[in-house]
Amino acid sequence: MKDDSIFELSPQDKTAIDTWLAQYPADQKRSALIPALHIAQKANGGWLSEAAMKAVAVYLDLPQIQVFEVATFYSMFELAPVGKHTLCVCTNVSCLLSGSDEIVSHLKKRLRIDFNETTENQQFTLKEVECLGACVEAPVLRVDEAFHTHLTPEKIDALLAELEKKG
Amino acid sequence: MIEIEIDGQKVEAEPGSMIIEAADKVGIKIPRFCYHKKLSVAANCRMCLVAVEKSRKPLPACATPITDGMVVKTRTAEALAAQKAVMEFLLINHPLDCPICDQGGECELQDVAMGYGKDVSRFTEGKRVIKDKNLGSLIATDMTRCILCTRCVRFGEEIAGIVEMGVTGRGEASEVGTYVEEHLISEVSGNIIDLCPVGALTSKPFRFKARAWELNQHTSIAPHDPLGANIYIHTRNGDVMRVVPKECESINETWASDRDRFSYTGLNAEDRLLKPMVKAHGEWQECDWSLALSTVHKQLENIHQHCGEDRIAAVVSPNLSSEELYLAQKYLRGLESHYIEHRLQQVDPQFIPTPLLARERQASIAEVEDMDAIFLVGCDIQREVPLLGLRVRKASLQGANILSLNPLDFHFNFEQKAQCIVSMQTFLFALAVWIQSELKAEELKEWPVLDQLIKQDVDYCGHPDERALIQAQIESIRKVFVAGRQKLIIMGALAINDPQASLIQQALLWLAERYDAKLIFLLAGANQHGAVLAGAMPEQAMSIVDLWHAKLPAYLLVNVEPELDCTHPALALKALHDASCVVVMTAFVTEKMLEYADVLLPIAPFSEYAGTLVNLEGKRQAFNAAVHPQGEARPAWKIFRVLGQLAQMPGFDYDTWTEITPDIPTEASKAPLSSLTERYRLPQRQAGLQLLPYWPLYRSDPLVRRADPLQRCALSADPVIALHPETAAHYGFKANEAVSWQQEGHVATLIVKTDPSLSLDTVYWPMGFSETACWGALAPLVLERMRALEENE
Amino acid sequence: MRSLKEIVKSFMLWELLVGLKLTGRYVLSKKITIQYPEETTPISPRFRGLHALRRYPNGEERCIACKLCEAVCPALAITIESAPREDGSRRTTRYDIDLFKCIYCGFCEESCPVDSIVETHWSQYHFEHRGENIMTKPMLLAIGDRYEAEIAKARAEDAPYR
Repeated sequence: MKDDSIFELSPQDKTAIDTWLAQYPADQKRSALIPALHIAQKANGGWLSEAAMKAVAVYLDLPQIQVFEVATFYSMFELAPVGKHTLCVCTNVSCLLSGSDEIVSHLKKRLRIDFNETTENQQFTLKEVECLGACVEAPVLRVDEAFHTHLTPEKIDALLAELEKKG
Repeated sequence: MIEIEIDGQKVEAEPGSMIIEAADKVGIKIPRFCYHKKLSVAANCRMCLVAVEKSRKPLPACATPITDGMVVKTRTAEALAAQKAVMEFLLINHPLDCPICDQGGECELQDVAMGYGKDVSRFTEGKRVIKDKNLGSLIATDMTRCILCTRCVRFGEEIAGIVEMGVTGRGEASEVGTYVEEHLISEVSGNIIDLCPVGALTSKPFRFKARAWELNQHTSIAPHDPLGANIYIHTRNGDVMRVVPKECESINETWASDRDRFSYTGLNAEDRLLKPMVKAHGEWQECDWSLALSTVHKQLENIHQHCGEDRIAAVVSPNLSSEELYLAQKYLRGLESHYIEHRLQQVDPQFIPTPLLARERQASIAEVEDMDAIFLVGCDIQREVPLLGLRVRKASLQGANILSLNPLDFHFNFEQKAQCIVSMQTFLFALAVWIQSELKAEELKEWPVLDQLIKQDVDYCGHPDERALIQAQIESIRKVFVAGRQKLIIMGALAINDPQASLIQQALLWLAERYDAKLIFLLAGANQHGAVLAGAMPEQAMSIVDLWHAKLPAYLLVNVEPELDCTHPALALKALHDASCVVVMTAFVTEKMLEYADVLLPIAPFSEYAGTLVNLEGKRQAFNAAVHPQGEARPAWKIFRVLGQLAQMPGFDYDTWTEITPDIPTEASKAPLSSLTERYRLPQRQAGLQLLPYWPLYRSDPLVRRADPLQRCALSADPVIALHPETAAHYGFKANEAVSWQQEGHVATLIVKTDPSLSLDTVYWPMGFSETACWGALAPLVLERMRALEENE
Repeated sequence: MRSLKEIVKSFMLWELLVGLKLTGRYVLSKKITIQYPEETTPISPRFRGLHALRRYPNGEERCIACKLCEAVCPALAITIESAPREDGSRRTTRYDIDLFKCIYCGFCEESCPVDSIVETHWSQYHFEHRGENIMTKPMLLAIGDRYEAEIAKARAEDAPYR
């Protein structure tokens, strides 16, 4: 993975990271890595470029590989450009038993994309994720930072319409 | 000590140690992949599951601390079932490519799979495939074979101090890799080849060359640095195939440095000399040994007869065996000459070699990690003696304070508590400041040099601000150093090769005495210690520079390429060109040799003969011949034996090298611990740019320079000189600019790099390159800048 | 009495008749001798004759230089040297079989993980000069190319019994 994009942490981002850093011992900067990556991701348009990860590594004084390890481990970090909204469908056991198959095929049909793809208008990215921890309300879909539960195809249509309306 | 029971056997072990350690102690084998005694416990392979009484589930032996009276069973049905299940999971994604895998035959996974694996996999889904990484010229990767034990990752973080490898992704997508490709910048990276339990990381120079079962193993000693690392040379059909470390807890633990591991690749370089050659009427001719030896005998005897004593000089490599050095000096002294020199890079003859110092002060290698305070003086320990650097790092991780007085900030892989970065000629001032703070005024009077130093501190240290800074830095170093219980001072090559080396040494000896600290002097070469014991140095105080200045009619070089190995190469080449007889005993021929030499005698490199080397702690270790000498090459000691016999000198009738060893003194007469007295004259402070010659890690001796994989690896240095950005700006140089340098009529065009970690006015000058070889590398020589050649034209 | 019987037998050429009885039986029975070299006896698909190195149908040599045949050979007849080829694959740079040493045990064939080294049905060969007993890699590959059809057929016939 090579990209030549340029990224620098803005002063506001740095202050935001500093507030996280303040919560941990001075020699444990690695503890603030996840919040720092979230901040960088937001600043970089929803995904982490190589430059963004490097900027975080430099700011936290960490080896680049350690930042890369964390960024690739968690599903909430995107390593490629994504649409405006990220739709994360859980396909683990509870959701599967409650009909996530139907939800997935409906989403795929509606958006005309497969998993890990983005719609042509750069609005939606569809992702398959592991358990989101809301099994009682399966099937579950996470849209950006909000959970949508007890899903049915009708609910999906309404949700997508609403998101499209918001733009 | 508490007692536990493993498989019915009572075992005593330290409280807090793990089951697997106790089992290893009594030789009960528990299968494992991720556990390694030198690394932290990861417990991620789960192969070492064992049944423990009163535990409902099998427990990992590598991560379960022992408790008194614990009953462990490693081979119950439950434990075996757990181990077999783990094995099945590990084999799910492991490719069945053992026939083309270099690890085949010495693979831990293969071995354990024989005992615990099923013959048929039940996994019918697709196997994962991982793209190979490019880790440079030393390590080949086949990452699909990786079982994610993370030994390589932990080695990087814990031992080598390079966090370059890591586990990315999660679940099935996990893979071991680097963030930036081709970037394994470590002087000990080769150890991950040994650590990898499968064939994911293998040796690139050895790739597909031989199978483990075809190799013969010979014990040997690494011939590049004074540590004396124990190694195995693996040979096949009379060829050296590879080098791997031999475990020796007190010296190299289980590691080998890349230089020791891969230098063998230079053994069969194209310019290897395989037959004796003599120059007749300006033409080189191959000849037989008897003619070559009689020619040497006649020429040297002739010069001895006609020119008298002390007209023949021998310049010998400090990597030769003690036996060779002993016979070399015996032969030379038989020719009534005392000019034998092995200190190729030192210019200060007053510097006292370690064997002549009191032994009580000498630290052993194993002791280094137990120190509380380590003071490095002019020492790039990581790139001088890589494995000693690991010990210092280990000490640092255990809480030792590392301090340094260096001409540049080396960015070590361990943390330094305080450092003082000054140019080499300010070293003495810095140390004088320290000593002054400990002495009363009247005591100071007894130390004229010191007194002189302090009084002239303005001269010595330029600006008062700079002086104050040095004083402050030294004070903080002193405070930390004094607070340590176990103290160690290490003087490195940069200080030892300095013209003021003896004064620096005296100051350090005084400090060691004062604080009851131990000392290590890192002399270059594998056997300087042995060379001193063998007497391969002149009795009077003279350095190799004096030998070149003496303009002798005859020089004898043994395993030395003076233009690359010696300080002041220009002077050396001139002396050799002017000499009427130059005999070169060498394993490799250079073009320069063909110009200045009269006789070339092929000698055997370290893999082809046997002898002893004495390491920096004074331990004499024997190494064995792994293969027969190539072509007509012979060990140098045999050549000296014949030369001695031809000259009818007494005491050359040895049959084997083992007969020589008892004749070599084991103790040298100790030099008195003198103080900084008047016999040392204080050199004049030089203004302007100061040349600081250094030998990069992979340019240190003829063999290493021919090891192609080392020359291509990320740590290999380029012939570029480095300056502090301010110094560069002051003299009007731009970074990456090609600049012509002139000195004593020699001109070299070299790229300038700027490096803010350097001290001001220091020109960090890499030696061991033909590009930089025309240079006279004595520190006080001032460089004059000419405009770049292109600008001139 | 006994001597009388002997005399009668000898005069009647009894032994000759006994001998001719055997001759007569074989005169009438089916012939089993063959006219070598015009005729040959049938050969088992497992027959172990001259060695060959095989290729895949796309022309790529099968041998991957795993050196198992070299290791298993009880007569130390095989010598292999290997190195990475330009494309990075593991290949032999030398593959010699000394036919003077070889005892035709077939272990090399058994050990080969890629069915590269095989023993063909070919047993009619000779050497005229010293040194010809060493089969080099190109020679072995050439034999493999020449007899590939027969080799493949023999492997297929023997496959059910392996």
